[in-house]
Amino acid sequence: MTMPFYVTPEQQMKDRAEYAQKGIARGRSLIACIYNDGVLFVAENPSASLNKISEIYDRIGFAGVGKYNEFHELRTAGVRWADSTGFRYSREDVDARSLANVYAQYLGTSFTDGGKPLEVEVLVAQLGIRNKPTKIYHIAFEGTITDETRFAVLGGDSETIRTRFVAEGDDVTTLGITLQRAVRALSGPDRTLPAADLEVARLEDLGNRRTFTRLSDDLVGQLLA
Amino acid sequence: MALPIFDVTTDPGPSFQNLLKKLNIPLSVPGATDDPIHATTVVALRCDEGVVLVADRQATAQAIAARDMRKIAEADRFTAIAISGTAAAGMEFIRISQLSFEHYEKMMDETLSLEGKSNYLSALIQEVNLGTPFTVLPLVAGFDINHNRGRVFEYDGAGGCYEKDDFGVIGSGTPFAESALRLGYREGLTLNECIELGALAIYEAGDNDPFTGGPDFVRGIFPIVVTVTSDGFTEQPESETKAIFEAINQRRTASKGRAGGDLR
Repeated sequence: MTMPFYVTPEQQMKDRAEYAQKGIARGRSLIACIYNDGVLFVAENPSASLNKISEIYDRIGFAGVGKYNEFHELRTAGVRWADSTGFRYSREDVDARSLANVYAQYLGTSFTDGGKPLEVEVLVAQLGIRNKPTKIYHIAFEGTITDETRFAVLGGDSETIRTRFVAEGDDVTTLGITLQRAVRALSGPDRTLPAADLEVARLEDLGNRRTFTRLSDDLVGQLLA
Repeated sequence: MALPIFDVTTDPGPSFQNLLKKLNIPLSVPGATDDPIHATTVVALRCDEGVVLVADRQATAQAIAARDMRKIAEADRFTAIAISGTAAAGMEFIRISQLSFEHYEKMMDETLSLEGKSNYLSALIQEVNLGTPFTVLPLVAGFDINHNRGRVFEYDGAGGCYEKDDFGVIGSGTPFAESALRLGYREGLTLNECIELGALAIYEAGDNDPFTGGPDFVRGIFPIVVTVTSDGFTEQPESETKAIFEAINQRRTASKGRAGGDLR
């Protein structure tokens, strides 16, 4: 009879974390940042149709990095959660914090009990209204939620990008300047990212119930110029 | 509620109706009341620029239950949906339709085609009408951005969907409104002519059908006029609808209430 090797719980968690981090590090990064009138999402994404950023609800946006099929599943689950909650109660009751919690619950459980840890990091951002503040929640692969005050960076090279973004300034400013700062932080000093390699969206009140809009390559090009 | 994650074999797809079933959330069509509120007249006309919808505002039980109902809703930017039948079921129907189209759009990252929307509603009508004693009949009209033209869809109570190439009418005032439209509609009407004709049809229905409200000059409540063109859904401001109905009313006053002559 063969005896299974004993692996300490610490080692097991470490291995799983390493596995997830490696998967996440393979993808490109993303920044979400609060600006004067809302929340801006900027991702490095050469694909025009496989999105990393998307709409969850009237005032809630979603972004994910890592393995596409995994964060896509989380995205659609988020849309389902939001639409069915809004249907059952009211549109006002769909809240980013509750959504961040159910994501954290799911990611946490998958990390400890699941077959394979999910190789994703996601964020949920909410455009504030009346008693609800504008918020960015960052949920890591093992289910840790961070409540970010001004911006969040997701993806492999996040520490470097975070440092570069902080160095750009810590004031809340216009859409254009925020976009320029985010793109400089994502690209680094040695390269420039063209509009076609960027996926950009925002949450902003433009007079409609739904506040999520994508920014076209043309508009991004103009704002970067 | 926990995160609704499904495995590949039970995934409800982009349909909001299927999702509600999976989550055991009933379509909340209201329970029985003694006095179902009903009756309406809504017309939709097609022209080169798009479509025009006009709807009366009255809800009728044994007496008039409401004078300011809004029976046309923006299902999405290029689609208008109007209802007739039991008011509560109709309002719920509009809510579910709007949510379904939005849900599809978010799930698929693509808008459902106008024909896709009209077909989706067939199944919803079956569910609402066959499952409860209340009936609701919608009228769907919109601008089909894939084919660059306005389109109008009518339904029967069992969910059959029929595209109309000229105009569609629903509600208890149908005979009167339809007569006006049949005499007045012709190819090549402009958007403004369609608004005039649609308003006249609702005026006729309000004049003859006890369950349809005409313009209410005392309270300043006028039928709702909506256009859907390549620019999207637009509701005409009240000042304009007021002017349209005042003009019809003046002509009618001058002719002592007779509708004859060159159709006014």
